[in-house]
Amino acid sequence: MSEAMDLSFLSEAEREVILQVLQRDEELRKAEEKRIRRLKNELLEIRRKGAKRGSQRYSERTCARCQQSLGRVSPKANTCRGCNHLVCRDCRSYSVNSTWRCKVCTKEAELKKTTGDWFYDQRVNRFANRLGSDLVRMSLRRKPPANKRETVGQTLLQQAQPSEPKDSTVAEQKSPQERQKEPSMPPEALDPRDGRSDTESMENMSLDGYRPHVSSRRNSLEKTVTFQEGKQRPGPVGTKGSTLPIPSRSRDAHLSGSESEARVGSPGAASADENETVFKKNPKRILRPSEYTKSVIDLRPEDVGSESGSLGDRSKSVPGLNTEVEEEEDIDNLVEIHRRRTARGSMRSGTSSSTLGSMVSIYSEAGDYGNICVTGEIAFSLSYEHTTQTLFIHVKECRQLAYADEAKKRSNPYVKTYLLPDTSRQGKRKTTIKRNSINPLYNEMLKYEINKSLLLSRILQFSVWHHDRFGRNTFLGEAEIPMGSWNFESQLEECLPLHGKDGAGSQQYRGELVVSMKYIPSSKHPGGNGKKGKGQEGGELQVWIKEAKNLIAAKSGGTSDSFVKGYLLPLRNKATKRKTPVMKKTLNPHYNHTFVYNGISPEDLQHICLELTVWDREPLSSNDFLGGVRLGVGNGMSKDQVVDWMDSTGEEVSLWQKMRQFPGSWAEGTLQLRSTMAKPRP
Amino acid sequence: MTDGDYDYLIKLLALGDSGVGKTTFLYRYTDNKFNPKFITTVGIDFREKRVIYNSRGPNGSSGKAFKVHLQLWDTAGQERFRSLTTAFFRDAMGFLLMFDLTSQQSFLNVRNWMSQLQANAYCENPDIVLLGNKADLSDQREVNERQARDLADKYGIPYFETSAATGQNVDKAVETLLDLIMKRMEQCVDKTQVSDTANGGSSGKLDSAKPEEKRCAC
Repeated sequence: MSEAMDLSFLSEAEREVILQVLQRDEELRKAEEKRIRRLKNELLEIRRKGAKRGSQRYSERTCARCQQSLGRVSPKANTCRGCNHLVCRDCRSYSVNSTWRCKVCTKEAELKKTTGDWFYDQRVNRFANRLGSDLVRMSLRRKPPANKRETVGQTLLQQAQPSEPKDSTVAEQKSPQERQKEPSMPPEALDPRDGRSDTESMENMSLDGYRPHVSSRRNSLEKTVTFQEGKQRPGPVGTKGSTLPIPSRSRDAHLSGSESEARVGSPGAASADENETVFKKNPKRILRPSEYTKSVIDLRPEDVGSESGSLGDRSKSVPGLNTEVEEEEDIDNLVEIHRRRTARGSMRSGTSSSTLGSMVSIYSEAGDYGNICVTGEIAFSLSYEHTTQTLFIHVKECRQLAYADEAKKRSNPYVKTYLLPDTSRQGKRKTTIKRNSINPLYNEMLKYEINKSLLLSRILQFSVWHHDRFGRNTFLGEAEIPMGSWNFESQLEECLPLHGKDGAGSQQYRGELVVSMKYIPSSKHPGGNGKKGKGQEGGELQVWIKEAKNLIAAKSGGTSDSFVKGYLLPLRNKATKRKTPVMKKTLNPHYNHTFVYNGISPEDLQHICLELTVWDREPLSSNDFLGGVRLGVGNGMSKDQVVDWMDSTGEEVSLWQKMRQFPGSWAEGTLQLRSTMAKPRP
Repeated sequence: MTDGDYDYLIKLLALGDSGVGKTTFLYRYTDNKFNPKFITTVGIDFREKRVIYNSRGPNGSSGKAFKVHLQLWDTAGQERFRSLTTAFFRDAMGFLLMFDLTSQQSFLNVRNWMSQLQANAYCENPDIVLLGNKADLSDQREVNERQARDLADKYGIPYFETSAATGQNVDKAVETLLDLIMKRMEQCVDKTQVSDTANGGSSGKLDSAKPEEKRCAC
């Protein structure tokens, strides 16, 4: 297959012809993507109406879909064979052979067919292990939004299009061996996800039509490609000599798990500053499977990669834990995105061989966020030229910027842009620095060569920085514009107010979550919450998600549509997944929703960890991570294994322990939300 | 055509030696026209067609009708495009493997194409129909039906003798392939235990805006 990408044997004319075909194909594909997004949203609607998803024993006498009381019904005859919930007659769909499933299960299955997931899932399974080809390697570089649905046509088309950054061409020419030496491949990227079955595609019906595929199939497809199994690759010269071991995916899956577990937060990392020179030492673009998100395209920043050893993947690389896979807002992906977007100061370093170097060198954002009170606005206009596939950003001026040095009333501002989520060096554009002005006039043109469809999935981010020749650059504010909703017809000047970083570092305040928990040992099953424990093994853990306070605003208008998701680690899968309904347009949502987990013995409480994460629901794209907590003993161990997720601290631990101490009674706590789930808060 | 107003997007791919009539076959299928000129396909191409697929219950009762958008990939048979064309195999859900009834060599090469498919398709046993094309040129025939049918049986795939010139079996071949795919799809979904049975049975039928006609149930 590798030859497939080598089109040099084609004549110019042939190339043209083929390109036209591929272009037509792209149109079809776009329509298809739209359709799929629509379908998945329909599923969500249906799903949301049924609150009992996942928790099978939760208030059994009501229909899991419409919540109508069922009265006395025979469980056997009224249980959906898809989800095992009791379902009333109105919420069923009968098939020709008079079997039935509930509407949600029906819709899920239907979607699997209509979206073509049945096909894409098999395809990925097949090629997961041996697509060591240029074909995929190429495709690695410019990940289109289509993820697992990516077709050869698409890949070729992108290859042919002029939208790609120059650097990647260089990378392409490198031999595979060379490339394999490159750093920053997160061990987690090799996580053994490829052993998955078709079933998981069901899991991938997501709040947005896209990301899930990415999270699952695509990585499995790609991760094998760039890296040789079982080899450890030395780091590049450029990245401060750091090395990142890449454990083999299959043979050393456990190794990759334990290795990453061993990572700890690196206090020094956050001090990286916006130091261009370090960057420049880093000569090569790093190829990395873009397992995170549709929108992580070719220019995956180095930092993200090395940093991407986040908790979720790690837990998945623990053998035996990856049997079922996350659906919907895959926390790992989102945490990634989130972290990339916001928590740029949060870094991690490996123990045995550090990824710190390459990360520090990358974090161009990790300047001084200081205590500047962000003021002012930025004036600009945008245009897109189709012939050259170029986005032109005319940065006109900034007005009323804050002083970087309040005492001296000085600011030397410049404007930097990214097309998020790409925060790589190649994705960065900067204006000149205007000396000593808080109303700098730039009138400069920043350009991105990018194909339009790709562009529409990006967010243009302006950030304004004070350039300090001797110290760190100081952050003066930023503004974001989702390109998908931008009207490119209008080339009028626009003006946006600058705002502060919404997540400059891991210590950032993200609000609180009020949670009450109760553990009911099996012996005395009082049947809390209107349900009866049915002679089950072990006790019951009830988690009452009461409210959140002071969430950050993810949506324009200063609000969030939030919900809480729970997992009972080590199982990060459907079986332990619980979600609250979405509370719209509030930063202080009252969820008043209870998660129930059954079959938990008292000693299990020593080994499990309740992970609660708060998300802003974003139907057409990635849900935004707003914060999270982990409740457990926090000793880093589970069943004699070192695990990274057992990382609760402070109130998280004490609340958990309080609950253990007084079985049968509610233990309530107000927990500070973490701004990243990647590591314990310092 | 590409307004997304359909229930399924099904991607088929035609393959076989150069000159067996893949392009002409697809042209006949999508536009119901015949172009006797031989214009070699440059690498790859595709055509589209919207059809209605009727799912049916086991008892033959007609079920729901689905709008299916077919993307029919046409590949160059020429060797020099081979690396390009085989790369597209993985994106297709089903295959029209075609040879020329008037060319023994093209028939012999079916085996090669089969192994190419097995290696490059989305799975090792994708849905395939074997098509002996140019059935109208009976006086030039080099491959007899027995031979071809035996080979198809060996692979366990349906065989049709088609003619893009007359339209013989053209629709039927594509419909059969589509039906195989739709059945496989049902099975895939069933296998995952979250099967949707509401959308009808295991058997389906296709008609392209024509009145329904019973298909052979084999």
